[in-house]
Amino acid sequence: MSRVTNLKISRAHLTSRVKQTMVAILSVTFGISMYIFMNGFMTGVNDTQTELAFSTLAHIHIYNDLPEDNTNLLQKKYGEDKLVNLRNAKVIQYTEGIKNSAKIIAAIEDHPAITGITPQVNVNVFFRNGATKLNGVLSGIDVKQESALFGTEDYITHGSWKSLEDRGDGVVLGAGLAEKLSLTLDDNVTVITADGVSRNFKVIGIIKTTIGGVDNTKGYVRISSARQLISKNQGYVTDIQVNIKNFNEAAKVADQLTPKVDYKVETWNESNGQLQAGNDLRNIIAVAVSLTILLVAGFGIFNIMNMTVNEKIKEIAILKAMGFDGTDIIQIFLVQSVIIGVIGGIVGIIFGYLVSFVVSYIPFRVATLDTLPMVYDPQDYILAFIFGLITTFVAGYLPAKKAANVDPVEIIRG
Amino acid sequence: MKEEIALSARAISKYFHEPETFQVLKDISFDVKKGEFLSMIGKSGSGKSTLLYLLSTMDTDYTGEITINGECLTGRTQNQLAAFRNAHIGFVFQFHYLLPEFTALDNVMLPALKLGKKSQEEIREDAYSNLKMLGLEAQAMKQSNKLSGGQQQRVAIARALINQPAVIMGDEPTGNLDSKNTDIVFDIFRQLAAERGQTIIAVTHDDEFAQKSDRILELGDGRLLN
Repeated sequence: MSRVTNLKISRAHLTSRVKQTMVAILSVTFGISMYIFMNGFMTGVNDTQTELAFSTLAHIHIYNDLPEDNTNLLQKKYGEDKLVNLRNAKVIQYTEGIKNSAKIIAAIEDHPAITGITPQVNVNVFFRNGATKLNGVLSGIDVKQESALFGTEDYITHGSWKSLEDRGDGVVLGAGLAEKLSLTLDDNVTVITADGVSRNFKVIGIIKTTIGGVDNTKGYVRISSARQLISKNQGYVTDIQVNIKNFNEAAKVADQLTPKVDYKVETWNESNGQLQAGNDLRNIIAVAVSLTILLVAGFGIFNIMNMTVNEKIKEIAILKAMGFDGTDIIQIFLVQSVIIGVIGGIVGIIFGYLVSFVVSYIPFRVATLDTLPMVYDPQDYILAFIFGLITTFVAGYLPAKKAANVDPVEIIRG
Repeated sequence: MKEEIALSARAISKYFHEPETFQVLKDISFDVKKGEFLSMIGKSGSGKSTLLYLLSTMDTDYTGEITINGECLTGRTQNQLAAFRNAHIGFVFQFHYLLPEFTALDNVMLPALKLGKKSQEEIREDAYSNLKMLGLEAQAMKQSNKLSGGQQQRVAIARALINQPAVIMGDEPTGNLDSKNTDIVFDIFRQLAAERGQTIIAVTHDDEFAQKSDRILELGDGRLLN
């Protein structure tokens, strides 16, 4: 019964100063909608960044890692207590690449998290057109699976990706590379390997991913053509690229794959620490900015509730004289700020969604983007609401506590 | 004989510590009978209001012992005292201190809702009959800040009576009223003491008001003069 009474008094306080209440609600609304917008936007930016990166980068990369240090292998064999003197050491031929790729693919393809596997034969080559000679990488790929993993087909600007499958002499060149070599569709380009083998290819496609490393150096051919170029047998690959369902679990999946494979299993974030760092930093900025806004909103509420307590101090005194205890007074004032928090939170969620929605239509034509990226993650909305409630609760509790400690005698006697 | 004592004060002393230590009340003892209408008078600074606030249990900084309705209240916690005030003491101050956003009826109902012994319907009935007794039935649904000063003071009295307290305490209850309203308030007090057996303790400056009451306690320099 006394709770109902307290609520009634809270409501009377809130409705008797509509303007202040509105300001308090608006400040929470603003904080929460900014939290939602900032996080949605930053997640959108991160996702775009990651998506762009994954247009050439697989989640897990399997390859034959060369021994890190082979300057004095004998020393390792005999141990530190023996002195080994080795002069003019030379590396004899050792196994490059992965000889029997079919076996490895068969061993890992059953893993439930894996969504796609594609073999690659990557060769460092020179591309030559007349007198222009450029250093680059020729990727022998499985046409269908490569595109399935990286969406390569979507980045073709001229020609056709699929015709690679039909033409053993066809090559798809990066846009920057083609430009530097003055090549256009249907021109011929000479590819020279480190071993001096050269072969002519016909340009049947131009690809533009906006990633410099790809556009300026890469050429794609059918995997069999690449094998032929470096005189390797069927089944030889240099890299196996694996995509999994959730790229954030790459490390876990890589650990599970390692025992099944004799080769190096590397995750995307191991080889691209800057991507992860960029994502993390942007998330920190988003959270820091939005929490700051919420904090300011909290101060706003604190201020308004403090003013209310001062304004109503005589009422508080008489309520205490009539037998309302400290808990009742705290309840009366805390309920007000919680109501402000809940209303501000709900409006903030709606407003945050609207702002995000509008911003996601602002044109932004860079790289593969048409508009600003935006993500609508329910978790952001829930967290924003919870943070908003916590802020208003704390901001309301301090003035409520002050109200509860009012000495009625002091106020009534004046 | 003993159950007729509504309130007793034993050896009450109180000090103010600021700006310097000063004894406001010096060893005051007295009893108030049930149904008695008591006025406390004295010059400004004589300690009469201070004494009233000690009796009201709102001020707990004193030595001595206060007993109301046979319950010793000295040494209880603030929350226990708040609950006791709610059930057993009604207050009327110089200013009405009504909640301005609430109607007269809602204001009167507040202490009873806090007490929570009756249903809301019963409390509404009680509040309405209290207002009626004070001639305010037409104002029951008006917002309290729309009433005249005399009406507001009468609403405050109705509020003080809602839980049928054993003791009603007034701090200059008529200090802010014209003579007509003063008479009305005095008559109400008189009636309450006589008909309902409620004890009334009022601090006042108004000698006429004091003369008409059952007993006068006069304070001077922190001591009882009579």
